[in-house]
Amino acid sequence: MGAEPAQLSTVASARASTWRRWLLRYEVLLLAVLIVEWLLFYHFGTTTNRRGVTVGFGTLDRQFDILRHSCEIGLLALALTPVILTGGIDLSVGSLLGLCAVVFGGLTHALGLPLPVAAVVTLLVGAAAGGVNAGLICQLRLPPLIVTLGTYSLFRGLAEAFTRGSVTYSDFPAGFLMLGQGRWAGLPVQAWIFLMVAVGVWIWVHRTFSGRAFRVIGFSPDGARYAGVGVRGQLTAAYVAAGLIAALAALVYTSRLGQAKADAGLGYELFAITAVVLGGTSIFGGRGTVTGTLLGVAAIAVLKNGLATLPVVMRMNAAEELAGLLTGALLLAALAAGKLAERWRRSPAG
Amino acid sequence: MAERPLLVFRQITKSFGAVRALRGVDLEVRAGEVHALLGENGAGKSTLIKVATGAHAPDSGTIHLAGERLERLDPALARRRGIACIYQQPALFPELSVAENLALRLEPTSAWRRVVWSERRRMAATLLSRIGADIDPEREVRTLSMPEQQLVEIASAMGAGARVVIMDEPTASLTRREQERLFGIVTALRREGVAVIYISHRLEEILTLADRVTVLRDGQTVACHARAEVDEAALIRLMVGREVDQLYPASESAPGAVRLELKGLCCRAAGGRPVSLRVRAGEVYGLAGLVGAGRTELARTIFGLTPADAGEVWIDGSRVSIGSPQAAIAQGVAYVPEDRRRHGVVLELPVGQNISLAAWRRIFPLGWLRGDRERSEAEHFVRALSIKTPDTDAAAANLSGGNQQKVALARWLATRPRVLVLDEPTQGVDVGAKSEIHRLVRRFAAEGMAVLLISSDLPEVLGMSDRIGVMRGGELVAELPQGATAMDVMSAALGQTPSEGAA
Repeated sequence: MGAEPAQLSTVASARASTWRRWLLRYEVLLLAVLIVEWLLFYHFGTTTNRRGVTVGFGTLDRQFDILRHSCEIGLLALALTPVILTGGIDLSVGSLLGLCAVVFGGLTHALGLPLPVAAVVTLLVGAAAGGVNAGLICQLRLPPLIVTLGTYSLFRGLAEAFTRGSVTYSDFPAGFLMLGQGRWAGLPVQAWIFLMVAVGVWIWVHRTFSGRAFRVIGFSPDGARYAGVGVRGQLTAAYVAAGLIAALAALVYTSRLGQAKADAGLGYELFAITAVVLGGTSIFGGRGTVTGTLLGVAAIAVLKNGLATLPVVMRMNAAEELAGLLTGALLLAALAAGKLAERWRRSPAG
Repeated sequence: MAERPLLVFRQITKSFGAVRALRGVDLEVRAGEVHALLGENGAGKSTLIKVATGAHAPDSGTIHLAGERLERLDPALARRRGIACIYQQPALFPELSVAENLALRLEPTSAWRRVVWSERRRMAATLLSRIGADIDPEREVRTLSMPEQQLVEIASAMGAGARVVIMDEPTASLTRREQERLFGIVTALRREGVAVIYISHRLEEILTLADRVTVLRDGQTVACHARAEVDEAALIRLMVGREVDQLYPASESAPGAVRLELKGLCCRAAGGRPVSLRVRAGEVYGLAGLVGAGRTELARTIFGLTPADAGEVWIDGSRVSIGSPQAAIAQGVAYVPEDRRRHGVVLELPVGQNISLAAWRRIFPLGWLRGDRERSEAEHFVRALSIKTPDTDAAAANLSGGNQQKVALARWLATRPRVLVLDEPTQGVDVGAKSEIHRLVRRFAAEGMAVLLISSDLPEVLGMSDRIGVMRGGELVAELPQGATAMDVMSAALGQTPSEGAA
């Protein structure tokens, strides 16, 4: 008799602590930040113009705009998630986006290849470029930071040499521009592409042994080797996939802007890394989720686009600068909050 | 030499967690003597040195230097009081000159003090010539050989006015001629009235050099003798001590057919030497030897971490080639490594994921994670090996050393191996878990595995093995039958007697 209430309260407190653990999960915190952010912009960034039409943040067009603009960086962030989980980094994805864009432009314009063929070749070029990174990292055992810092310059340089720094490929057929500017089933077309890649990467990272291997390598490369995990094979897969997805992002980018230039995707790698880290993935490897990366991408995209709709920011004409500043602040605040939440979660319930 | 002792340790004890490294060590060292410290791997020599240099504080016991009690000894105080230690790997700044290295340790430090280079060079030259070392003080340390660097260390100890110099295996990496030079210097130190504590596994060295010998065993002082009172056989007997107790589970099965055969196997690239041996199904083959005898290197080669570049591996009568750990797993070879925390388990990973890591091909068909299969596999092993863990989702880091070791074992049992290589499976594990692991190893053998048991714990090797191979300098120097004594094993490991039935 006497034991029963005690047991009940144990169950209740266990349930409460599970609930608290869930609430204090980093992804949940980030989701809350995202919702607050969105509501603030909805409140302050939405106005009605003289004709009585709603303009600003709270319109469907604006929301689609945010989606369109975040797809390329989102794709790069998805590409980087497995790489960063292994404890590595790929700084070359932005440059590779540029290289693949002009390769695609060259193939369709200079060589006159049919679009699907050119697209496939472009994807192969991206995968091969990822293979170069993987080869240098796995075979020569060079640090990923150094290798991809090298290919970061190399790929961009190749893109510029290819176009002599001045050629811009435009005049793509309408069918191709559909990819970046059209809608399908109510959503921008590239949002569907993004969604497919996101689901694919999520399954890869969270539902296959390969994803498990990324974490193990990130936690302890030696431990992975002693457990018979094929470290080279797994790393190669991660970097090749990153190259492939960067090439896909190049196609989406080219189609959205209707032009391919050597400076495509300049600086995107840093936005993508920011999104991944904001999403809770440890830069040292091992810890992180694809869901977190998606939330990170969304938080940055909403912040960047939402700021531009605020009347006060529009008057100052400083949306870009403010976005950079707030993104940095958001990243640092989120990381600090995550650390504190972890401490709180681990401390005994009370 | 009936002088008053200079450095006296009384009943020193020191524990690390559950491991009692020192359980009452007495040591008396006189000025002007070379005092050898002898003991098996893990007898407590290194811990005792660390206590003497102030790196570890003893749990109890006293240290007296020249009659004065030293309390709260730390490295800086030890150095000031004149206790110096020359390690195998000298800790000098490679980019600086000999004179600068000496000056860093010996000159008073102050940001504004003017450097008098001529003075600095003269001091270095004096110190070096005092120990009879012919080294130019201007040379950069990285251009010096290992023994020359040791000389610089000794010079620095002398310059600091060391009264006690501890030398830890100083001849381990020296050539014959360099050794003799070092002996000359040790003799010179003795003449100057310095007490030298000399640690070495080479008995002939100890017998030529030492005035007295103290033998440690299991963290206790077992004897202290003058040089004239002992010979090699007596020293080995003292080191080994007691007979193997009957705590070890008996062999349950008659060994079957030859399961693992190595024919001149080695990885030359990793500095290995050819080794040939055979292990039968159901047999526990113990691999004994001193630390650094090449046993772990052999295991790494068998497992494909440093793939063999010479020789052959045969398993169950067919030749196999093992170029990677993956290939080893495919051939049914499992290796539970020595360094549990770095290689045996992934500390951040849950117990269940640690257990399924090596056998993933079987547990996760086509590489799809299956939580249900992983959980049932993990729960099976948690029960079978009685791993103490709250649940299979707890991180391995939260488990005790013995339970982590069981998780590492479970990971490899899950691969259903034919050959199980265990590298120091009970190192740093408490007594209870240790005997549990022993029983498990016996059971694996009874199930038909060929077990290769590497252990520096002599009683363990003697108690667990059906046969014992002894390695020295990368080679298998002796193969002893069950019932071999600790004397036999130690003699072979130290290279004292001609090996019997050598490979």
